[in-house]
Amino acid sequence: MTPLHHIGNFIRALVVPIPLWCVRALFLGTLIAVFIWVLRLPRENTTPENTTHWYQNLKIWACLALAIQIVIYSIF
Amino acid sequence: MQTLSFLDFVVIAAYLLGTLGLGLYIGSKIKTGADYFLAGRKLPWWAIGMSLVATDIGAVDIVGTGGAAHQHGLAVANFEWIGCVPAMIIAAFVFIPFFWRSGVTTIPEYMERRFNVAVRSALAVCWIIFMACNLGIMLLASAKMMHVHLGMGVDACIYLTAFLVGIYTISGGLAAVVYTDMIQCVIMIGGCLLVLVLGIIDLGGIDEFQAAIKKQEQVQREKVLIQNQEPEQAGKQVSHTSLILPADADTPFPWTGIFFGLALILSPAYWIGNQAIVQRSLGARSEFDAKAAYVWGALLKNLIPVVVAVPGLIAFVKFPELTDGDQAFPELISHLLPVGLKGLFLAAFLAALMSSIDSYLNSASTIVTHDFYKRFYRRDASDESLLKIGRTVTFLLVLWAIGFSFFLMTRSEGIYTIFQTLMAFFQGPAFAILLTGLLWKRATGVAAFIGFIVGVCFSIMLFTLNQEPVYTALGMDPLFQISEPFLYFSIWAFVVSFSLIVIISLLTKPEPTEKIEGLVFSLKPRKETA
Repeated sequence: MTPLHHIGNFIRALVVPIPLWCVRALFLGTLIAVFIWVLRLPRENTTPENTTHWYQNLKIWACLALAIQIVIYSIF
Repeated sequence: MQTLSFLDFVVIAAYLLGTLGLGLYIGSKIKTGADYFLAGRKLPWWAIGMSLVATDIGAVDIVGTGGAAHQHGLAVANFEWIGCVPAMIIAAFVFIPFFWRSGVTTIPEYMERRFNVAVRSALAVCWIIFMACNLGIMLLASAKMMHVHLGMGVDACIYLTAFLVGIYTISGGLAAVVYTDMIQCVIMIGGCLLVLVLGIIDLGGIDEFQAAIKKQEQVQREKVLIQNQEPEQAGKQVSHTSLILPADADTPFPWTGIFFGLALILSPAYWIGNQAIVQRSLGARSEFDAKAAYVWGALLKNLIPVVVAVPGLIAFVKFPELTDGDQAFPELISHLLPVGLKGLFLAAFLAALMSSIDSYLNSASTIVTHDFYKRFYRRDASDESLLKIGRTVTFLLVLWAIGFSFFLMTRSEGIYTIFQTLMAFFQGPAFAILLTGLLWKRATGVAAFIGFIVGVCFSIMLFTLNQEPVYTALGMDPLFQISEPFLYFSIWAFVVSFSLIVIISLLTKPEPTEKIEGLVFSLKPRKETA
């Protein structure tokens, strides 16, 4: 057994007992955090100059992509 | 094996001729190195976004992801979902606009501006080795598939695909790659969707499909029970429809590897630091187009596992006895697709294959030309001479890819595993230097170089110590208790690199502020490079 084995076994002993519902919460929490971050981005970072249409705001499409992910990781 | 009909051949020939024609047409407009390597910075977001997806989903993924879904279940879809979408969104709004504004041609070029030439060269060497090996792997994936369906010899298949991709990539450079990728993306998704729909219809519908998966899982549990007489082992069999698998499950995709290795390290490293990926957005016609391309790509990514991984689950139900996962997709096509439609899928497969090979060819050529030829041999090389060198290097890479694919034929390891392991060797350390370089002005060149080299060596050491002949000879247990622990290599290599960079940076002299202005987020970009 090398020191690497001991470190590995120690970490393994820490993560194996974590229930899967907690892990799911971690996955969803990460996606939700990115979702909120996108919502809070300044408008000038997400739209081209002289924007005339709502669909030119990238924030909407980024949020849609993340919302689909949140639904997927909630179900599967 | 079913015989292809005349209609199948017509579909395949139409696709191949269309792609070649488009590539050669674009090639006729290429006049300079800037046109060749960055498409003259005129690419629109919609083409880049589809090209990003087509490049990422190669023939390797169609065969490998389908096979992994057959063997290990839906968890392989994590590579396209949490392993892509969040990183692409963050890259779209933070990193990609930064690179676009900096005006670099390659990621290693950024590394020299930020750190030093040693870091640039070390990273460029790693990318060249990875891309060159990957080219051979992709050609071999095609050979496996074509051998089953076209009845052609493996050798002939390798020569044919290398010839076709080589012609239009040599001729048209990045613009040809991106626009042909766009067509390939549509054909690829359409072809895989066809297999998915026909597969579900064949099983009697979605409800019947779900029931069949549960039934098959039960059969497997009973098999394990009979073989091992261990109820505990049978209980550990993972669900084929779960994305999140226990840390101690017998799978290459436990949640620990997926979250810490894939989502936090490999995925951002890939979408922010992979030259073949980032190069497209560097060729965008505006900063907005560069951002929009990544967001569009992230939206498309939501669809990919549905058309690539779910067919693997269909194969799990239809052909549970398959021991080689890489045969799952070929078997499905043989059994599901009627005469006429098989040609469409094979065109999709060729599209997937070509879209990845062309990208890696073009990017590898860009790195050789800019990071080696121009950097070390002719710093004053004209744009026209760079075009000639780029085309020559692309041709040589085609020859190399052919040779390496023949070498790989003697290996029996799963295609996907080889691909992921190669990336895991240096993606973690590469991400560590990229992240510290972009976000921390105190990171120094010496620290980045040492951190990168030690990180790569460390991941290779982990891989070596985990090989059965090695740990048996040393009288040790394996380091990792799961099969194919490639995700863990990247975590540990990142941790080692990152820690070393922080420690050594604090012990060495800081980089002068004027040198790193515009190259670190906290320091305002230089106006002349915008």
